[in-house]
Amino acid sequence: MVEGSQPAGAAPTGAGPWGVALRRLRRNRLVLAALALFVLIVLFSLAAPLWAVHVAHTGPNTTHTLAKVEVDGEKREVVDPTGKPTGPLWFGAGGRFFLGADGSLGRDEMVRLMYGGRTSLFISLIAALITTALGAALGLLAGYFRGWPDTLISRALDVIWAFPVLLLAIALGLVLAVGGLQIGPVTIPSGSIWIPIMVISVVFVTYTARPVRGEVLSLREKEFVEAAVAQGAGPARVMFGELLPNLWSTIIVFFTINVANSMLLESALSFLGVGVQPPNASWGTMIATGSTLIKSAPLLTILPGAMILLTVLALNVLGDGLRDALDPKSKLRLEVHAGLAEPEGTPV
Amino acid sequence: MRKVQAALAILGVVAMALVLASCGSSGGKEGGTLHGTYASFPDALDPALARTVEAWTAMYDTYLPLLTYAHADGEAGSKVVPALAESLPKVSKDGKTYTLTLHKGLKYSDGTPVKASDFPASVERMFKLNSGGSPFYTGIVGAEKFAETKSGGISGIKADDKTGQITIQLTKPRGTFTSELALMYVAVLPADTPAKNMTADPPPATGPYEIVKSQPGRGWSYDRNPQWEKANGKLIASVPSGHLDKIDIKVVSNPSTQVNEVERGSSDWMQTTIPTDLYNSVKEKYEGSQFRVEPTISNYFFWMNTTKPPFDDLKVRQAVNYALNGAAMERVYAGTLKANQQILPPGMPGYKKIELYPYNMAKAKELIAEASPSDRDVTVWVDDEDPNNQAAAYYQGVLKKLGFNAKLKEIAAEDFFPLIGNQSTPDLDTGWLDWYEDYPHPNDFFQPLLAGESILPQENSNLAQIDDPKLNAKIARLEEEPLGPKQEAEYADLDREYMEQAPWAPYGSRTVSTFVSDAIDLEDIVFNPTFGQDLASFQLK
Repeated sequence: MVEGSQPAGAAPTGAGPWGVALRRLRRNRLVLAALALFVLIVLFSLAAPLWAVHVAHTGPNTTHTLAKVEVDGEKREVVDPTGKPTGPLWFGAGGRFFLGADGSLGRDEMVRLMYGGRTSLFISLIAALITTALGAALGLLAGYFRGWPDTLISRALDVIWAFPVLLLAIALGLVLAVGGLQIGPVTIPSGSIWIPIMVISVVFVTYTARPVRGEVLSLREKEFVEAAVAQGAGPARVMFGELLPNLWSTIIVFFTINVANSMLLESALSFLGVGVQPPNASWGTMIATGSTLIKSAPLLTILPGAMILLTVLALNVLGDGLRDALDPKSKLRLEVHAGLAEPEGTPV
Repeated sequence: MRKVQAALAILGVVAMALVLASCGSSGGKEGGTLHGTYASFPDALDPALARTVEAWTAMYDTYLPLLTYAHADGEAGSKVVPALAESLPKVSKDGKTYTLTLHKGLKYSDGTPVKASDFPASVERMFKLNSGGSPFYTGIVGAEKFAETKSGGISGIKADDKTGQITIQLTKPRGTFTSELALMYVAVLPADTPAKNMTADPPPATGPYEIVKSQPGRGWSYDRNPQWEKANGKLIASVPSGHLDKIDIKVVSNPSTQVNEVERGSSDWMQTTIPTDLYNSVKEKYEGSQFRVEPTISNYFFWMNTTKPPFDDLKVRQAVNYALNGAAMERVYAGTLKANQQILPPGMPGYKKIELYPYNMAKAKELIAEASPSDRDVTVWVDDEDPNNQAAAYYQGVLKKLGFNAKLKEIAAEDFFPLIGNQSTPDLDTGWLDWYEDYPHPNDFFQPLLAGESILPQENSNLAQIDDPKLNAKIARLEEEPLGPKQEAEYADLDREYMEQAPWAPYGSRTVSTFVSDAIDLEDIVFNPTFGQDLASFQLK
């Protein structure tokens, strides 16, 4: 069959909105590169136990302060008597201390970087999932019902909105880092990685809930909603059967942005000592540890910093691409706003 | 012949002048301004309230108590000498009455005379402010009541402005009291000094320098005390007059920037210890010319709660001591720690080296197997300052090697002590602490940290919660006796007896550093073990 030809007698079939979006996405090479980079980072982090067991032969928290490694037949101290850690040994010691040691404790930097990636990605993905789901649900409820539910939800979100994100997160992190969290029968002990997850989920919820509410307020006035109501659909059916499918593109885009923002916030909290608790590795805690040796061993700060940069960059490009693919009008709107395109319907 | 005699006379005069010039000053310049930096503003520039070495360094040459510590390095600097008082106190036979006499003619920097009655007023002000130093003085008759009521005066202190005589009555003998009279908390201030934190508006001085400007959080400046040359300096021989005319201190919160400034010469001295990252390069480059390592009388240790499993078992505590490797800890502290495994640190009277638990992991594991603790979940507490947090991470690894499920809890430094000192905090199993001497007396390492009476519901400083009646009685008895060779030997025995109980796993004493620009004469700088660098000893080349 010739490309683009239609079999005789068959009804014309058009791709659905998701198919169209996928096609648009495939055409955007920058987005594909960002996706590939993100997948690589995820695979790198998932491979941590394999590298630790089979190559580095050490765990992420195992100290080697007085240990020696054999490099090209010569015994070398992991940490010298002045407390300075060894630099990258690459494959000189069979992959042990590939990126060197992390400080005077002599922990394997490569192993910690990989395990740190697992922690940072896990926290940011789960926090983004929670904050997006919670934000979407609250936005949907507030926008659909309006009236007092809207007032209640919107004012509660205003309270969160009133605090700078980082300050609120630090305050919550400080309180929960000592006593942990108990909500009914659920107890999260202090030091658990669920503490930063909860903190990040709470502080970002308003950033998803508000735009979703705005979109729902607009959508609920559309004819398809009126038609559904006329057919006797109840609020739950309208919200989940009619409105939610029209919100998916917004929610997906927000999810990717939330993952990136969550990663940045997790790193900031861990750097400040109120996120992931030592000795557990996350890219944020690794920057904090490395910063004490920034002059003598800058790689210890640069490496986790670069991982955060690449991950956030990949996620932001991916989020932009998804938005363009799922809602091309938004791209047009942005271009019109920037003076790069003519507004639709304007006479030339 | 006359010519020869004249020539000899001239030569003699020249030689004498040279000898005189070489005595005292090492030939530096008199006058000038010292520009120094601190990493943070001291806790208070008010002698009654200041608790940190940083603040005491800042006020050593400004506010003088009746007695002070000699302005000298090392052991000589641990000697108590008269300051505003004419001589050391006369102590009654029963050890309960101390009599001192104020120098006649002393003046504050604002020109008002120093009176004997300013001393009881200063002690009362300290109690009114609920100073952290007040527990040292509750042994004065009437002090405990005054601490509660804040009115009515302290009946145990009598002062006569005419004769300058001050008499202090104690409820029971206290061998440490002379040392405590030389602490900053009881520096003499004008009686009308308001009972509030005077950091922003420091009171007039009695020492060679006065604080003329204080901007909390940013810095402060000193000028020479105009009354020092006229009056006080002639009377107080134990305190040097200082070489500099002005001293400007600013807060530079990044220690790496502090190092850069000293290297560039835009700052002459940094009070802060050089950060780990730069320590060895600075030491290599400047040791002897601009850099010097200073010992401190301190103890860094991990306490173990002796009242709760698993550390209620002596074998477990001894195992931890065997498993902790001092050589590793020295590396963790990047060469700024000298390994030591006992209660009293080197330099403290009564110190006698003991090493009951040389590193032996096999022996440690053997002891754990014998003890077979049923509870193996332990929480390790530490503050978030580097490298203490690294030391605790290392300790956590040691506990894991011994078969414990150890969890690290890192707390912001400013919240750390209130939290671990509060017995209602859950999971107070073990943790890190450091202790620097308040004054050079071994009791300072036993009474607050290991005596049963120091176990308190809040602000508990006996974190191991060890309460051994026999050892408590020994501490109480020695506390009443004046310190001499016999008492020092008994303190050394006490050190051993406590380490046999192993309530702590001590790992060393810290060193700090003096780092100055090439404009300053390093050799002349005095580092007092209690007060740190003596600003009066700084001199421009």
